[in-house]
Amino acid sequence: MAAEAGPAPAGPPAQGVPGDHSPGTAQWGSAGRAVLTSPALRVTGKRLLSAVPVLWGVTFLTFVVMNVLPGDTAQELLGANATPAELQTLRLKLHLNEPFWVRYWHWLSGAAQGHLGDSLVSGQPVTSILGQRLPVTFELMIYTFCLSVLIAVPVAAAAAYRPGGLVDRLSMMLSMAGLSIAPYVLALLLVLIFAVNLRVLPAIGFVPLSQSVVGNIKSLTLPALSIGLPLACFYIRLLRADIVEQMQSEDYVVTARAKGVAPWQVLIRHALRNSMFGFLTVLGLNLGTLIGALVIIEPIFSLPGIGQVLLQSISDRDVVVVEAVVLVFALIVVFANLLTDLLYAVLDPRIRYGRPSA
Amino acid sequence: MAAPLPDTLLAPGVAVPAPAGAAARRRRRALAPDILIPAAILALIAGGCFLWPLVYPVPAPVGGSILSAGLPPFSPGHILGTDPVGNDILSRILYGGRVSIEVGLAVTLIGLVIGGVMGSVAAYSGGIVDTVLMRVLDVLIAFPALVLAVAIAEGLGPSELHVIWALSFFSVPAFARIARAGTLRLHGQTFMLAARLSGTKAWRILLRHVTPNVLPQLITFGLLGMGVIIILEGALSFLGLGIPDPAPSWGNMIALGQGTLSAQPVLVLIPSLFLLATVLSLNLLGDALRKRWGVR
Repeated sequence: MAAEAGPAPAGPPAQGVPGDHSPGTAQWGSAGRAVLTSPALRVTGKRLLSAVPVLWGVTFLTFVVMNVLPGDTAQELLGANATPAELQTLRLKLHLNEPFWVRYWHWLSGAAQGHLGDSLVSGQPVTSILGQRLPVTFELMIYTFCLSVLIAVPVAAAAAYRPGGLVDRLSMMLSMAGLSIAPYVLALLLVLIFAVNLRVLPAIGFVPLSQSVVGNIKSLTLPALSIGLPLACFYIRLLRADIVEQMQSEDYVVTARAKGVAPWQVLIRHALRNSMFGFLTVLGLNLGTLIGALVIIEPIFSLPGIGQVLLQSISDRDVVVVEAVVLVFALIVVFANLLTDLLYAVLDPRIRYGRPSA
Repeated sequence: MAAPLPDTLLAPGVAVPAPAGAAARRRRRALAPDILIPAAILALIAGGCFLWPLVYPVPAPVGGSILSAGLPPFSPGHILGTDPVGNDILSRILYGGRVSIEVGLAVTLIGLVIGGVMGSVAAYSGGIVDTVLMRVLDVLIAFPALVLAVAIAEGLGPSELHVIWALSFFSVPAFARIARAGTLRLHGQTFMLAARLSGTKAWRILLRHVTPNVLPQLITFGLLGMGVIIILEGALSFLGLGIPDPAPSWGNMIALGQGTLSAQPVLVLIPSLFLLATVLSLNLLGDALRKRWGVR
C-alpha cells in the first residue's frame, strides 16, 4: 500500500531525456578519478548516512511495540502454571526486570558491534538461526523478484505496442484481476490446480539447492508464483502506462520515427529503456511488500524460511529474534533503494556526468 | 483588497473555467459503465451482508448441527452448502463480509482523516515539523508493515477492533505521504498566494483551499487502499490473528478450508470469490474515478 503511493525518492524524473543516451559502460569504468568526485557517489554517501537513522528508528519501534504489548516472555516460556518465584528467577536470568531503556541500550550497543544476542526462548545464537533460515527466504525472494519482472516487462511492452488494441485490453483486464487476488488465496488456488489436480508441482516442503537443482526450483515455484503474479500485474499496469506516455509525448520518439526506425524498435530501444528508470524505483519500493507477503506465504508451503520463525517469535515475545529479523528486512529494503539510486547513476548519463538534473 | 480578483484566484478548485456544456457532459458521464458496474457490485455485496440477514432470515453463522455437516452447494435450506461443522456457508459469508467491510471502511477513514491532516499540515508548515514527519514515514516504510500488524494483533488478542488498530498503523502513513505530496504541489500556486496575502488564517487555507485539491487524490487512493486493507484483514484472520475462530470472516473461512482443500475445495473457493469480487470492484472503481478526476 505504502509503496504504491507516495512520490518517487530523490532521483531524476524518468521522462524528458533529450535524445537517446546509450549507457556506455566504457566511460564509467575508465574514468576512475571522475567517479571519486562524481555526484553519484555523493548522492550515495548521503543516502547511506540517511539510512542510519531509519534503521535505528526501525529497531527502536520494534522494541517499543514488543514492550508495550501485554504478555511477557517469561510467562510465555513457563506457561500458566508457573509460580511467581519461578517467573521472577527467569526474568532475572533474561534481564527482563531491567528498565526498557537499559535493555534497548544493551541490545543496540551489541548490535552495533555485530552481536545480535541469543534467542530468549531457545538460547540459540540469533546469527545461527538467521544462517539456517535466511538462505531459503533469500532464494524465494530472488526467484519471486525475477519471475515478476520477467513476466511484467514483455507483457507491458506488448500491451503498449498498440494502446487500446486487443492485447492491451486483454492484458489490462487480466492484470486488474491478478492485482486483486490475495497472495494467500492465489497460493491455495495454485496448490489446488498444480499439486492436487495436475500433480506436477509439490504443495509443501523444500528441496535444498545442494540436493537437486530441478527439485529446488520446483519446490519454490508455487510460492514464488503466489507472490510474484499479483506483483507482476501491478508492474504491468505501471510500466505500460509509462511506455504509452513516452511514445505519445516525447520528442526523441518523433525523431526516431522520422529517422525511419521501426515502431517496435522505438518502443524497445527508446521508450522502454527510458521507462526503466521509473520502473527501477517502483521495484525498490515494492521490495517491502514482497517481504511482507513472504511471511504469510512461507508457512502455507511449509518452507523452512524466516517467516515461520518470525511469527513464532512474535508470539513468544522473543524480542531478540524479532529485532534481528526486522533489522535484516529493513536492511534489505534500505539497500535495495540505495542500489536503485546507484543503478540510476550508472544508467542515466545526466547523473553519470554530473549535469544538474531536475 | 478592493480590486476585484480574477476568477482563478477566487475559485481554488477550478483553475480554468469550464467550457459551456461541460457540466452537462460530466453529469451524463457520471453513469458511465466503468463507474456504475463496480459501484453496483459493491453496493450489492455490502447490501447483502448488512441487509439480507434482516430481511430474509438465514441460519446462524455459528453453532450449526453436526447432522447437517458437509452438505454440497444447492442443498435444500443451504444454498451454498454447509461446512464440516454444519454451519450454513451463505450465512457465514454474509456475516464474515460485514467484518471485511467494517474493517476496510474504518481503517481507510482513520487513515484518510488522521493521515490526511498530518500530511497536509506538515507540508504546509514545512520546516522541522515536515522533517520529523518525513523521517517517521521513512521508518514506517522500511518497517515490514505486516510484522507490526501481526505484533499488535497478537499482543492485544484477536478481535475486530484490534485488527482495525493494527491496520491503521500503516494506512495513516500512506495517506500522510499522499496528502503531503499533494499539498507540496500546491505551493506557489496563485490562489494559495492570494489566500495568504489576503490574511486568511492557516487552518482556513488548509480547509478551504488545500482540502478540495487534495481530496480527490486521497479518495481514489482510499478506494485502492481499501482493497489492500481487506486483503490484509483476511491475511491476519488467515494467520489466526484476526477474528477469533467460531465467528466468521472471509480470511478465517479460507484458512479453515485449507485443511480440506483437496476434498472440498468449495470451502476455500466461495469466500475467495467474494473476496476477489470485492477487491476487484474497489480497484476498478478507484481506477475509473482516478481517470475521471485526472489524478496522477
